[in-house]
Amino acid sequence: MLNYSNPITEEKSYSGLQMREVKPIMKLILRGKKREFLSAVGKSLNLILPAEANTFTKSDKLTALWLSPDEWMIFSNEVSHIGNNDYQIENLLNKSICKTNLGAVTDVTDQFVLINLKGDKIYNLFETGSPFNFNDFRKKKASVTQTILAKIDVIIQNESQNDVNLFVRRSFSQHLFSWMNDSASRL
Amino acid sequence: MTNNLRVKSSKFIDETYKISFRFNNKTYYGYKGDTLASALLANGIHLVGRSFKYHRPRGIMTAGSEEPNAIVQLHKNTSRTEPNVRATEIEIYEGLEASSQNCWPSVNFDIGGINNFLSPVLPAGFYYKTFMWPASFWMKYEYFIRKSAGLGKSPTEPDPDMYEHKYIHCDVLVIGAGISGVIAAKTSAKNGFKTLLLDEKPYLGGSTIYQNSEYFKINNQISSSWLEKEINEIKKIDNLEIKTRTSVAAFHGYNFLLARESLTDHLPLHQRYEKIRHRLLKIRAKKVICATGSLERPLIFDNNDRPGILLSSAIEKYSNLFGVSCGQKNVLFTNNDSAYETAISLFQRGIGIEAIIDNREEVDSKLIKEIEKNNIKIYKGYTIVDTFGYRKINKISIMQLSKDGQKVVGSKISINCDCLGMSGGWTPAVHLFTQSGGKLKFRDDDQVFIPDKYPSNQISIGSCNGEFTLDEILTGISKKLKDFLNIKKTDYENLEIQSHFNKTKRNIWLLPSDKIIGKTKPFVDYQNDATAKDIKLALREGFRSIEHVKRYTTTGMGTDQGKLGNMHALGIISETAGSRMGELGTTTFRPPYTPLTFGTIVGRNVGEYFDVFRKTPIHDWHFENKAKFENVGQWKRAWFYPKENEGMHEAVQRESKAARDSAGILDASTLGKIDIQGTDASEFLNRVYTNAWSKLAIGKCRYGLMLNEDGMVYDDGVTTRLDENHYIMTTTTGGAATVLSKLEDYLQTEWPELDVYLTSVTDHYATISVCGPNSKKIISKVIPDIDLSDEKFPHMSFKKTKIDKVKCRVMRISFTGEQSYEINVQANYGKSVWEKCMQAGKEFNITPYGTETMHLLRAEKGFIIVGQDTDGTMTPIDLQMDWIVSKKKYDFIGKRSLYRSDTIREDRKQLIGLVTENPKEVLEEGAQIVADVSKSPVEMLGHVTSSYYSPNLKKSIALGVVKGGKNMMGQKLIIPMENKQINVTVTDPVFLDKENKRLNA
Repeated sequence: MLNYSNPITEEKSYSGLQMREVKPIMKLILRGKKREFLSAVGKSLNLILPAEANTFTKSDKLTALWLSPDEWMIFSNEVSHIGNNDYQIENLLNKSICKTNLGAVTDVTDQFVLINLKGDKIYNLFETGSPFNFNDFRKKKASVTQTILAKIDVIIQNESQNDVNLFVRRSFSQHLFSWMNDSASRL
Repeated sequence: MTNNLRVKSSKFIDETYKISFRFNNKTYYGYKGDTLASALLANGIHLVGRSFKYHRPRGIMTAGSEEPNAIVQLHKNTSRTEPNVRATEIEIYEGLEASSQNCWPSVNFDIGGINNFLSPVLPAGFYYKTFMWPASFWMKYEYFIRKSAGLGKSPTEPDPDMYEHKYIHCDVLVIGAGISGVIAAKTSAKNGFKTLLLDEKPYLGGSTIYQNSEYFKINNQISSSWLEKEINEIKKIDNLEIKTRTSVAAFHGYNFLLARESLTDHLPLHQRYEKIRHRLLKIRAKKVICATGSLERPLIFDNNDRPGILLSSAIEKYSNLFGVSCGQKNVLFTNNDSAYETAISLFQRGIGIEAIIDNREEVDSKLIKEIEKNNIKIYKGYTIVDTFGYRKINKISIMQLSKDGQKVVGSKISINCDCLGMSGGWTPAVHLFTQSGGKLKFRDDDQVFIPDKYPSNQISIGSCNGEFTLDEILTGISKKLKDFLNIKKTDYENLEIQSHFNKTKRNIWLLPSDKIIGKTKPFVDYQNDATAKDIKLALREGFRSIEHVKRYTTTGMGTDQGKLGNMHALGIISETAGSRMGELGTTTFRPPYTPLTFGTIVGRNVGEYFDVFRKTPIHDWHFENKAKFENVGQWKRAWFYPKENEGMHEAVQRESKAARDSAGILDASTLGKIDIQGTDASEFLNRVYTNAWSKLAIGKCRYGLMLNEDGMVYDDGVTTRLDENHYIMTTTTGGAATVLSKLEDYLQTEWPELDVYLTSVTDHYATISVCGPNSKKIISKVIPDIDLSDEKFPHMSFKKTKIDKVKCRVMRISFTGEQSYEINVQANYGKSVWEKCMQAGKEFNITPYGTETMHLLRAEKGFIIVGQDTDGTMTPIDLQMDWIVSKKKYDFIGKRSLYRSDTIREDRKQLIGLVTENPKEVLEEGAQIVADVSKSPVEMLGHVTSSYYSPNLKKSIALGVVKGGKNMMGQKLIIPMENKQINVTVTDPVFLDKENKRLNA
C-alpha cells in the first residue's frame, strides 16, 4: 500500500490557540452557472449550495463554501480512509453534473490543506498577517472569506465561535504553518 | 546625584524608584517617568550634542518629538545600538547608556568645532559648488565627505530584538490623546463606534494634563483635574482601545495609516528578552479624527541655538510634568501670551525668572498682570539681539524694536541668565493631515496653515486645527463631533470655560539685529545648521520655489523634518521675495512623521519568513538525499544531487549521462496544472493556443504555445484530453498563476459565451517523470496493470490507472527527448510513488536529476524554456516553430500580431544553435554574439540564451538568438569576452535525435 504523507504532522497548542491539520478530507470544486446545476447538486448531495457570497452551508456529511458566483468548494465533514482516493460523492457528481454538461467537478483533495484552529486567540493570530477585516466576519454565522495570511492565499471558514477552518494550498502549507506557529508563540 | 534642579515632586515621576543611567560614560540618576532629557536637565546637563555642519554645542531644546538637537546614540558598540534617538522621547531605564553624536573626542571638546570658525566660508551650497572640479577628483572628495557626513553610527551586528506587524480595523481612529483627542474618543466610543485612541507619549492628556493654573478652568475645575476625570472614564469603555507610546508614522489615502507601537524601549535590557520591541500597526479606519496638537515656534535671532535655550513650553513641561527646573535664572522671550503661562508656572514653583522680553509693545492680559504683580521685569517691545556662553548660555543682549519691527533702536541692555525660553507662537501639527492628501489654507491673522479640504472621511480638531486656547478648543468641539459622527448629543455641550489668554501676537519671522545679517547666526533649522542668511543667499542665487530653497539650504531635511523651523523658512522667503505666505505653499510633509527603525518596517519578514516558499510533495526525499535546491518562482526545486565531493558540473554530467543511458527521475510537480471542463473546452483551447485542438483524440496529449496579444510567446506546455469535454493543461512553473488568471480573465470578459470552467490542480498532484531507455521497464514494475507497448501507449498519450488503490494518471510525454513517463498522483501519495519508482529502478541505476540536468537534456533536444530562451519579444516564427502556428484557424490570441510588418521582418532575432570551435569551451549565458569586431561600434547581433557542456554529445552546445539567424546556418560568429574572443558556428537548435528515434523507442 502506498504511504500517505500529509504535510503537517504536528498538532500545536498555545495559550488560547490550538492548530492541527485535519486529514484526509475529500475536497471538490464545483463550478456551474445554470439553475439545473444548482438543483442537480442539491439533489445529489442533499445540500443546497450557498447563494450568498462568502458564506457556507452544511449538511451532516458535507460543507459547501461559496468561492465565486459560479464556484463552490465542498468538503467532507469527516475524515476518509487513507489509501483510497476513489470518492463516492465525486463519482455521483461526475454523473449528475459532468456527464450531463451542467458544470464541472474537480477533485482538489490535496490541492488544499485544511488547518483547524480553535481558541479565543484565533483572530489575534490572523491580525498579525492578514489585512482582512475580521470584525464582522467573526460575529457573522456561516461566514467565509478568501484573503491572504502571511502573503499566502487562504480560505477561512468561521465554523463556530472560536473554531475556524483554514484552507491553504498544499505547497504553501508548511511555510504557513511554521509562520503561524512563530506568530502564535508571540501572542 | 546632583539633584539640585529637581524642584518639586510631580505625580508623573515616581521618586521612590531611582534609576541609574550613563551618559557620555558618566553615571547619573533619575526617576521612573523621566525622559533622558528631563533626567539630564535634573542633573544640570544642557549640552548633549554638536550640530551637524558647524559642530556648534547644542542642548535640549524641546520636550517632544520635534527635538532637533538632543539626539543621541544609545548603547554604542553593541548589537542594540541605535543612532539619532531623541533624548526628549526616550524614557530612562536601569542600564541605559547614551552618548553624544557628531563630536570627537568629546562633546565638551570637539575638534570639528573648528567648522564653526570656518563658517563664513561654508555657506549654503558650499559642497555643491566646491567639489565640482576637477571632476576626476570627486572620488577623493567623496571619501572624506562621506566620512564626515551623517550623525550617529548604524549598528553593525544583527538586531537581537523582535518586531511585528498588526492589522487593525476600527470605526474611528483618534490620533492624539490631548484634551481634544480624549473628548473625541469618549464621544465616539460611547456612541457605539469601535474606537482606537493613539498617543506617542506614555501618558494621556497632552499638555493640559500638567496645566495647573487657576487661569484655565473647565466647569470651575482646574483644566488638568477635569481632564483627569475624563481620562479615568475612557479607560473603562469597552469598545475603546487606547495605545500609548504609539506614534502615527504615516497617513495614506483612504484612511490607511501606519503607526509604531513601542513596547519595550522603556524597559531595562534584561526585561526585553523574547518580547516584541516595536509593532507596526497597519490601520484601516472608517473615520479619522486628527487631534495631533501644535508645536511651539522658536524665534529667529542671532545665536539662538546655544545650550540652555529652549522652547518656553518645554520649560513649563519640564517643570510641571517632571519637576525639573531648566535653569535658576530664567529669561523668557516671546511674541504672545504663552510664555506668561510658563512664567506663572515657574514662579509658583519658586523657580527664578530674571525677565520677560516681549516683542509686543502694548499688550495686556490677566496673565501679564499676574507677572507684573510679582515684580518680574517685562521688556515690552524689545528683542534679543545676541546671546553669549559657549557651552551654555550665560547672558543675552536685548534692544528695543522699531515701530515696524524691521530694525532695533536705542542702546543694548545685557541680562545674565542660565536658561532662555522662547515662544514664537504655535504651528498646528498638520503633517499627517497633509500626508493624507489634505489641502491647507493660510490664516493671515496669526500666520498659520490650517486644514482646509479633507481628502477622506476625517476631521482635525483642537490646536492642529488652529484652535490654540482652551476656550477655542472646547467651544466648537461638540458641534464638530456631532456633525462628523452623525450623532445627536455629546457630553460637552454646555461647558463653562475660563481661559485668560490674550490672543495678540506680533509675528516677525527674522528678528532684526544691530549687526548686518552676514555677521549673524540666526538658526532656522537647528539640526541641519541652516540659518536665515543661508535662505536669503538661496534667494539671491535665484531659487524661488520653497522646494528648491529647501534642497539648496537643506532646511527641513534632517530627521526632525524641520518641525520647528519650516514656517520661519517660509516666512523669511515670503518677506524677502515679497510674496504672500499663502501663495508660497509649504514643503511636502512625507512619512514617517518621526523616524522608524528598519526593524519596525520589516517586522517578522526576516530569515525564513523573508519570502514565501513552496515545497513539492517529494521535497523531504530530495532534502534527505542531499539535493541542492534552487528557487524557481516561489518553489524550492531540486537543482542537482551531488554525490560525495561532486560540484554542480560533475553532478549534472553524471545525472544527464544516466538519463540518456539508462533511467533518470525528475520531480516535475511544480509545473502548473489547470483542469479544463465544459462543452466548449476544445474551442477554448483553439483560441488560447496557436495550434488546433478540436481533433485531438481522447487519451492523447499535445504540446501548445500560448501567445500574448502582441504575438509574443507567453507560455507553453502539454495539454491532455481526458474526456470529451475534459482536458488537463500544464503550464510553466513560474507562469502557472498568471496563465490561470489570464485565461479566467478571457473567459469572464472576452468569451463569456463559452461553457468552460477552469480549476487549478497544481498542488493536488505530485508529478514524477521517469525517462531514459529503461523507463518503460521501471514503469511496468510500478504499474504492472497497464499495457506499455508502443501500440497501446504511444508517445503523447495518457492512461488512467491505479497504483495500489490510489487513482493516478500516466502520460507518455517527454521534455528530455528520451522515452519518458509522467505519473500524476494525488500529492499525499507522491513521495511514496517516487520511492516506489526508485526501488523499481534500482537495477537500472535510476538516477534522480534536478532542474540543471533537465535544462541540459532539453537543450540537447533543442526544446525551449519560456523565459530563458524567450524574453517577451519572441514569436513562434522567431523560435523556428512555424509548424505550431495553425494557418487554418480563424483566430487565436496573438494571431493578428503575427502578421504585423515588424513581426514578419526577416532580420528579427531568431533562435539558433551554437557550437564552439573548441568543443570544451562552454559559452556564458547572456554573452553577446557579433559577426565583426573590427568595425566600431561593434554591431550586436544577439545573445546566448542557454549554454552547457553535453556529456552525451561530448561537446559544448548553446542556444542563442541572433538577428536573421534562421538564414545563417553554418556561419561563423564571434562571442567577444573580456579577455578573448570565442569562435562559434551557427547550427540547427536540435543537437540530438532530430528524428525522434529515442522518444519512440
